[in-house]
Amino acid sequence: MIKLIKISKSFNSQKVLDELDLNIDPEKITVIIGQSGGGKSVLLKHIIGLIRPDSGQIIIDKIDITNLNDKKLNEVRKKFGMLFQDAALFDSMTVGENVAFPLNEHTRLSRKEINKIVNEKLNLVGLENVIHKMPSELSGGMRKRVGLARAIALDPKIVLFDEPTTGLDPIMRESVDELIVATQKRTKATFVIISHDIESTFTIAHKVAMLYQGKIVAVGTPDEIRSSNNSFVKRFIRDLRI
Amino acid sequence: MIRFLEFAGRPLVFFIEECGRIMLLLLSTISWMFRPPFRFRVIFKQMEFVGVNSVGVVLITGAFTGMVLALQTYHGFKMFGGESLVGSTLALAMTRELGPVFTALMVTGRVGSAMAAELGTMKVTEQIDALNTMSVNPIQYLVMPRIIAAILMLPVLTIISDFVGIVGGYFVGVNLLKINSGIFIAKIIDIVDLDDIFNGLIKAAFFGLILSLVGCYKGIYTIGGAEGVGRATTQSVVLSSILIFISDYFLTAVMF
Amino acid sequence: MGIGGFSLSNLSIEAKVGVFVIIGMIILGYMSMRLGKLGFKMDQGFEVKVYFDSASGLEEDVSVEIAGVEVGRVSKILLEDGKALVILRIDSNVKLRKDVKALIKSRGILGDKYVVLIQGSPAAPLIEPNGRIISTTTATDLESLMNVLGDVAKDISRLTQSFANVMGGEKGEASLRSIIDSMKAVAETLNRTVQENNKGLVKIITNLSEFSATINEISSKINKGEGSIGKLINEEDTVKRLNGTLASLKEITEKINRGEGSLGKLINEEETVENINSTLTSINDYMQKQESFRTYLDYRGEYLFDSEEVKSYLTLRIQPREDKYYLLQIVDDPSGVESETDITTTTNGVTTTEHIEKNEKNKIKFSAQIAKRYYDLGLRGGIFESTGGFAFDYYLFKDRLTLSLEAFDFDSDSNAHLKFKADFTPFKHLYITSGFDDFISDKGNESFFIGAGINFLDDDLKTLLSNLPF
Ligand SMILES: Nc1ncnc2c1ncn2[C@@H]1O[C@H](COP(=O)(O)OP(=O)(O)OP(=O)(O)O)[C@@H](O)[C@H]1O
Ligand SMILES: [Mg+2]
Repeated sequence: MIKLIKISKSFNSQKVLDELDLNIDPEKITVIIGQSGGGKSVLLKHIIGLIRPDSGQIIIDKIDITNLNDKKLNEVRKKFGMLFQDAALFDSMTVGENVAFPLNEHTRLSRKEINKIVNEKLNLVGLENVIHKMPSELSGGMRKRVGLARAIALDPKIVLFDEPTTGLDPIMRESVDELIVATQKRTKATFVIISHDIESTFTIAHKVAMLYQGKIVAVGTPDEIRSSNNSFVKRFIRDLRI
Repeated sequence: MIRFLEFAGRPLVFFIEECGRIMLLLLSTISWMFRPPFRFRVIFKQMEFVGVNSVGVVLITGAFTGMVLALQTYHGFKMFGGESLVGSTLALAMTRELGPVFTALMVTGRVGSAMAAELGTMKVTEQIDALNTMSVNPIQYLVMPRIIAAILMLPVLTIISDFVGIVGGYFVGVNLLKINSGIFIAKIIDIVDLDDIFNGLIKAAFFGLILSLVGCYKGIYTIGGAEGVGRATTQSVVLSSILIFISDYFLTAVMF
Repeated sequence: MGIGGFSLSNLSIEAKVGVFVIIGMIILGYMSMRLGKLGFKMDQGFEVKVYFDSASGLEEDVSVEIAGVEVGRVSKILLEDGKALVILRIDSNVKLRKDVKALIKSRGILGDKYVVLIQGSPAAPLIEPNGRIISTTTATDLESLMNVLGDVAKDISRLTQSFANVMGGEKGEASLRSIIDSMKAVAETLNRTVQENNKGLVKIITNLSEFSATINEISSKINKGEGSIGKLINEEDTVKRLNGTLASLKEITEKINRGEGSLGKLINEEETVENINSTLTSINDYMQKQESFRTYLDYRGEYLFDSEEVKSYLTLRIQPREDKYYLLQIVDDPSGVESETDITTTTNGVTTTEHIEKNEKNKIKFSAQIAKRYYDLGLRGGIFESTGGFAFDYYLFKDRLTLSLEAFDFDSDSNAHLKFKADFTPFKHLYITSGFDDFISDKGNESFFIGAGINFLDDDLKTLLSNLPF
């Protein structure tokens, strides 16, 4: 499904990704964990072609997107939904218009049908009452949930989440986790999630990948990761548990 | 010596690169213009922003430009008894130069800077990336409507500015300075050509292209957070204004 | 922003923009109509010609007036036989008589020139359309004349003034008298001088008459054949000798004509003529072959908007005849070719092989084509970018504009590659191009492009290749 082969990326002289290899299974939830500033967001942007690697190959659904031009890339991206770390809502549009945006752009649905889907998605993230507000009037956590609703509005085949639960209270965190699991079950989509929340990672992930010093140092089911004897993985799990 | 070349060469290289990137942005804007989807609503929204919402500024600047011009030329022409030429001088100056240039400068300040700031903010808050992830080309969605709107709206604003400028000048010349109203208008009709107006409008369209292109360019190449947005805004106004004056010279040389 | 209880913000965006644009159009329309240059005048009027010695300062579209009333415009200013031919367009309700007078005048302190007609007598016949106004005056003459006259008048008035000053009063009379006295004295002196020099004058006159007599004598001597010059001219011998020379010349030309002598033979021999003729024909043929045989080397670059890259073509065009050419081409295609490769990866000891669609960049392709031309239509066939294909070319504006439609890459599992392009050659050797590449692509390859090219005839190559049989 998604294949990253020997991806290297440097910003100026700082090496962020270093010959990274990663296979992401289709129709599964893969969670990527790693240090802050370790390059997780950069990795996610490689998958959707926002950043091009210095070397290596990225293959999405059997298409090599490494050197694809913008127009073809846009075709590939139609399979994707993405939640940015800072939500990246369009601040010239209301919450409702934000969620409706991908529907307006890529479907021929009527306004009524679109409104229905928008309400439904906002309901899922518990925000049906802010539909007419502007993003600037929302809290950080609310914005993130609107971003989530926008990312899944088209029920895409691949959804990338950059820290969907960071900045939410424990109750909301749990409900977002539940939402992710339920949505994945329903749509059979491929989910790639970046998370710092080790506990929820182990509950929702089918597979966990650990990014350390520009490489994936461990991949496996939550159980495999838990019993890993990689020293960094051990330390990471222990530190986050406390 | 090499160090001197580096010192002197870097801004030059930077400038050439910048021109190249602006031209490439223009080219890809043109290519995206002919490709579906056609989002007329987005264009209309920009036309409202660039055109309709700039009317107030343009009315005030246009009217006062005409008035002060009438006042100044009157004192000049009076010295050799040529007061009757105030109207035509005013009308010629308004239609050929002051209408298009002042309108473009005001719109640069109001709209060009806003474009740079808006797109710059969208860039640094990853909204442009978000557009990309949703398979919407940012040039087609953000840049192209702004450029089209500016090219279409600047001539309309300019003709309004021309008109209120001449009316303002008429008011000062006829009502305050007591120039004969018949002669004032007759001289305008006598000396101003339709070509003067049209060439002024063509200039205006060109200035619209410049200010929107530069504004968008500075916006989508913004880096460095809020500070970067501020820098992009300032630079877009400065660069647009300079380019407007430079291109005005060359357009005038070609047209008149 | 409420206007009479109606709020502007209630209007839709489209309505606001629409109102705004309409206001702009109304202002533009109003101003245009006031300037009167875009009036709804259906009246085209009629044209008359008039020749001026100089139309200096006159512009097209300035007014033509009779008695200060505009009756038309200057429609054209041309040069004909060193004179300025000015064509006037006159309103059709104005009647011009044959003896109407045209002159160029200048107006106002700006000195704009315009044309004034002065109507002739009502009895004269009318000028018909496209007729000519005969009587003209050029403004510059009139003006300078007026200027000079003005100056003269000023001088005269100054002179008379000082005269009046001088003459006025007794003092004036006295001085006048003294002037007259001194004039008298001058006249007397003059008289005296003439009388004193009387003898000298007479001498000069006699000398002159003697000289002319001598000349007379010499010329009569020449006439009679006396003296050396006279002898030379009048000698019979000379005439005879000259005649002889002429006779022998005549003889030679006659001999040549009859084919006698070596030169005559050469010139009169049938064979020679044939030889020369055939030589000329073969030279001609050779020249003609040279003429139509051309080899072009051509480079073109096309900027593809979609991939934002430049596709380059290097072409050798061999054209043995005007209506036929061969084309060899190397294409550097940045969008490359789609290829399918297998990628084998090993993860955690498990080896997986996957079939991947890959985009190979900067692939070099080749073309080899034959082209034939029928009038303005050209047909091309052969290898296009390493696949089979054909093309139509349509030549316009003396071949300056070429419209081409190419079809190739008839791959069974995807749409054919169609390309439309227009080449325009504003200058020799340089052309610009624009078009749509692969416009029915089902892989998202369609792209608008613009580009430019340079081509040149290789003269050295040309001579070398023209000796090979084609
Ligand atoms: N556009 C960029 N230009 C320069 N450096 C960048 C850029 N984007 C990321 N980086 C650098 O790459 C490194 C990885 O950044 P990234 O955002 O991927 O971290 P992260 O793993 O997502 O961290 P966090 O968990 O805090 O979000 C950082 O050191 C950052 O400075
Ligand atoms: Mg991050």
